[in-house]
Amino acid sequence: MKARLAAATDLDRLLDPDDAAWSGARSERLKLEGTPAGMQPTAVIRTAWADKAIGAVGRVEVAALHNGRELAFRLAWEDASENGALGDTTSFPDGAAILLPTLPTAPAITMGAPGIPVNAWYWRADEPEGGRHLVAEGLGTSKTLEGGAVRGRGHWKSGRWQVVLARTLALQSAEAVVQLEAGGTIGFAVAIWEGGRGERAGIKAFSGPQWIELQLEGGR
Amino acid sequence: MARSERQLAMVMDLNKCIGCQTCTIACKRLWTRDEGMEYMWWNTVNTQPGRGTPRDWEEMGGGFRDGDARPGKLPTRRDFGDAWDFNYDEVFHGGKGDTVHLKVQGEEPDWGPNWDEDQGAGEYPNAYYFYLPRICNHCTHPACLEACPRKAIVKREDDGIVLVDEDRCRGYRFCMEACPYKKIYFNHAEKVAQKCIFCFPRIEQGVANACARQCPGRVRFVGYRDDESGPIHKLVDRWKVALPLHPEYGTEPNVFYVPPLAPPRFDENGDIDESQPRIPNEYLVSLFGPKVLDVLEALKAEMAKTRSGGRSEILDTLIAYKWKDMFGGFDRDPATIEWTRS
Repeated sequence: MKARLAAATDLDRLLDPDDAAWSGARSERLKLEGTPAGMQPTAVIRTAWADKAIGAVGRVEVAALHNGRELAFRLAWEDASENGALGDTTSFPDGAAILLPTLPTAPAITMGAPGIPVNAWYWRADEPEGGRHLVAEGLGTSKTLEGGAVRGRGHWKSGRWQVVLARTLALQSAEAVVQLEAGGTIGFAVAIWEGGRGERAGIKAFSGPQWIELQLEGGR
Repeated sequence: MARSERQLAMVMDLNKCIGCQTCTIACKRLWTRDEGMEYMWWNTVNTQPGRGTPRDWEEMGGGFRDGDARPGKLPTRRDFGDAWDFNYDEVFHGGKGDTVHLKVQGEEPDWGPNWDEDQGAGEYPNAYYFYLPRICNHCTHPACLEACPRKAIVKREDDGIVLVDEDRCRGYRFCMEACPYKKIYFNHAEKVAQKCIFCFPRIEQGVANACARQCPGRVRFVGYRDDESGPIHKLVDRWKVALPLHPEYGTEPNVFYVPPLAPPRFDENGDIDESQPRIPNEYLVSLFGPKVLDVLEALKAEMAKTRSGGRSEILDTLIAYKWKDMFGGFDRDPATIEWTRS
């Protein structure tokens, strides 16, 4: 998959999923699968979800653009219900994330491993204008990095979510963060949570254990 | 499962609880006044038999069965009783205090944290009920801690207090599903799980829990389980007159109850009938396990002893002649401390 160079498109436009710049990006349709119940990190989650369907969202359309400074992913998926509010204890928000390995050996299915971190760019429908930058070294270890490096924006219209997640290509940080560059290639994975079905944490639809290759157009 | 080095615990004497909710309000005023906490009552007192708080919590699962984690249900805000809005402005500040009365705003509630107060069970003249105060049990084997995929719940090594680390918590609420006592709440403003903290900032200063210190009935004893000179060890381990609630849930609670005795029954002639208890044994067994019958017999024997002129150290302790003796050394006056909010 390719992230086309849209040099004249600033971050604000990239963050708008309806911006005309996105018509120049080629969307790819990814099939998603539910995370295995047996891999959930605690016994009660494994037991509670053993006989329940995980991964309500079956496919997602992914496109990517960069402008030489920032890389943006646009995720779009069908969802009949918009779950944004946290009004009741039983309400969970819809969500989406892009996972990126800091080292090629990082396992996607366990969100990294000790000493082999991954980054997540995370968006949730209760904060539609927000994004979180996470680093994780295995299931249950993710922590949010300060600094607001990841920007997200999403909206739901007529049974469809469109969400953009973006970050600067290069990022100075004391934490293990992915460095991106025009002309470079990285792997990524996608996760989608259907809040209306109680999906949260490791209960989600994901693009599978293989990293998907993304080439950033341009550069040398 | 590793136990903490020491364990703080509480004993509540149900024979002394008058259901006044002073504990509930003491806790509310101290800990749950911020936005997102409106519906939280870390301390509740419910009439038993009754549906409890949250409504029908005993049928919501969680805990362990034969050592295996047992999935549970998430109680809704409505199950907890939610927070009712009243027309305070209209009544107090709108100049209509003479004509308008306080009314719940919005949808008419069908449940509250103490909805079935004093209903109890049984038929006149043998009706019965008692009050059951509840806080987080700070379990030795906490289902909440084991359920959390982020290890955001910790059991403190030094005193066994179970706390939610709000920096790690992501509000996934698996803990709420797993807690069989349904004593965890979700703060929808902070987006984290919250619950009774056993007043740890007070405990760390040598001050007993607010619910215990404020109790007008001297119901609550506090202290370390292993402090042989303290009330907990005596009541729970030496004299064995205090039992955990629903031991079959498998979490090993650290709140213990002295079970309730009741007045005798009346027979059809209106005469006292001591042949069977007013509160059915099977009901108390369903709450506290079969040992409850031994405890009730032991308490009756102690009472008989004092009636015939003897002394009972157990009853003297339960009566709590010296208020400060109830707190296992955590008897510092909180008014002597300058508290700051961090």
